[in-house]
Amino acid sequence: MPAPSQRKISIPLHGASCLPAWSASREAQECFSLVDFVSSDLEDVAQKCSLSYKALVAVRRVLLAQFSAFPANGADLYEELKSSTAILSTGIASLDKLLDSGLYTGEVTELMGAPGSGKTQVCLSVAASVSLGLKQHVLFLDSTGGFTASRLYQMLQARAEDEEEQLEALQRVQVARAFDIYEMLGALQELRDSLSQQVTSSTGPLKVLLIDSVSAVIYPLLGGKQSEGLALMMQLARELKMLAREFSLAVVVTNQVTRNSSTGPLKPALGRSWSFVPSTRVLLESKEATWEKANTQRIASLVKSSRQPTGIQVELDIGNSDAQELSPVTPTQGL
Amino acid sequence: MGDAFRRAESGTQLLARLEGRSSLKNLEPYLFAEEGFPIHGDVIEFHGPEGTGKTEMLYHLIARCILPKSGGGLEVEVMFIDTDYHFDMLRLVTILEHRLVQSTEETIKQCLGKLFLVNCSSSTQLLLTLYSLENMFCTHPSLCLLVVDSISAFYWIDRSNGGESFNLQEINLKKCAELLEKLVREYHLALFATTQTIMQKSTNSAESSFSLKLQQETDTDYRPYLCKSWQQMVTHRIFFSKQYNSGNSKTFSFTSCHIKKKQIVKRSFSIAECGVQF
Repeated sequence: MPAPSQRKISIPLHGASCLPAWSASREAQECFSLVDFVSSDLEDVAQKCSLSYKALVAVRRVLLAQFSAFPANGADLYEELKSSTAILSTGIASLDKLLDSGLYTGEVTELMGAPGSGKTQVCLSVAASVSLGLKQHVLFLDSTGGFTASRLYQMLQARAEDEEEQLEALQRVQVARAFDIYEMLGALQELRDSLSQQVTSSTGPLKVLLIDSVSAVIYPLLGGKQSEGLALMMQLARELKMLAREFSLAVVVTNQVTRNSSTGPLKPALGRSWSFVPSTRVLLESKEATWEKANTQRIASLVKSSRQPTGIQVELDIGNSDAQELSPVTPTQGL
Repeated sequence: MGDAFRRAESGTQLLARLEGRSSLKNLEPYLFAEEGFPIHGDVIEFHGPEGTGKTEMLYHLIARCILPKSGGGLEVEVMFIDTDYHFDMLRLVTILEHRLVQSTEETIKQCLGKLFLVNCSSSTQLLLTLYSLENMFCTHPSLCLLVVDSISAFYWIDRSNGGESFNLQEINLKKCAELLEKLVREYHLALFATTQTIMQKSTNSAESSFSLKLQQETDTDYRPYLCKSWQQMVTHRIFFSKQYNSGNSKTFSFTSCHIKKKQIVKRSFSIAECGVQF
């Protein structure tokens, strides 16, 4: 029997690449993908190549241990969540009330609204509140060009007197621009890398990731019969949720709205598949008022939440000096 | 492959497995068209658009399972496979706190000790995880309920990875479905899985494998899109939808269909802070 050739097993996870298992007699070279190997009958495989059954079982166990997900116990997970979950104030008291005290880390929250409804202003308010009040870092991913540092500075000036504090807060807000899906995925990958390495110098203890807006990068992908656009969208969604969960971030995304018909209710843009992605969804609308002057009053309604009943509404003002709360309004007809 | 595991089992493990799992008959009688369900080997699919109460219903069922018998539960263990990072532990804890008469940290943790959670980030990882979970089903005889939320999460990504061939697109889910069927049958589990309504109702009735008469009766926006292996293993299909009453209170409703016996029942429920209420 000829000496067995080198028994090298290289196992990449993707199904397309192969796991070569060399037979001692060098006749047949069975190629398996990882999934094939794990699901095949090991007795058969043992017969075809010269590795013993025991060795194959051991390899299988190692592969499963490395590539499959590990079940966690609910009690342990709860303990971990209790210590790592934080609730971050948005800087707008009425919006905090709507969100059951604020933005929860570990979740994706969506702000939806027509253009001019105040989504970017609310995002800036969140950035100001978290960087100044909570002294935590914020990453603002801008895909519309709507971020203006001067407006952020204005908000900070309204909240803090001390100029040094304001400048420190400004330094905690990182801005990155991503105008298409690949740039955005790249920026998220960079974020993941720096968070994994726990580089504290620039990103610091990052708590909030704001994406304004997610529809701007996804709209060009949708439409047509190809599923690739949808696959990219779901990949982005998955990455956002994983970042939120693994690193205890509060992820806020902004989205457009559409209607089914001219009188139907407003629904979030980007289709049905996206509708499942955020855990909490808030609709921002302009208050019906006279068109005489520029109106800074808005109504925020809770459209989706796992903690509060949907349909509750609050008023807020995204005005010049600061986003502040008006007198509480009784909830109007729910959505 | 199952033989490999059986050989590795000890005698006590074998006995534990053969002893039989607890009955889930009283899990939630409102969910089913007939009495006495779910039974072991049942595969129940929750289908519906966003915000219709599928995940809330799952929390309700999980709470019912993990609560102690003194608290009105079945005291069995649950395996929850979360494919889209959707599971909200704090919400489950709120529901448990409302249902326990004396809810202390200790009792909550005792209940949560019966829940196992796994996160899967791709259909390949789901498949590999199911293989490695087989060991767990062997060693935990009180593990009767398997929940997958949701099984349609990888649909678009798989379709894109599979290229032009439908077979390649569906192959991972097909293998997962076959493995799930095997696990449910061999270890006497009940499987609850959610699927999301991500397609519009098909105007081509021939495309639907769901019998036309049944579809007209249920009047749902259902368009089957997952692979045939999955569709054929489902024993009960429950369609969720939102209802808007005139009194401005939103309730939810579902239509429960027993596939083989072609029986349908419609019920409605509401969701309060303590969870699902019928």
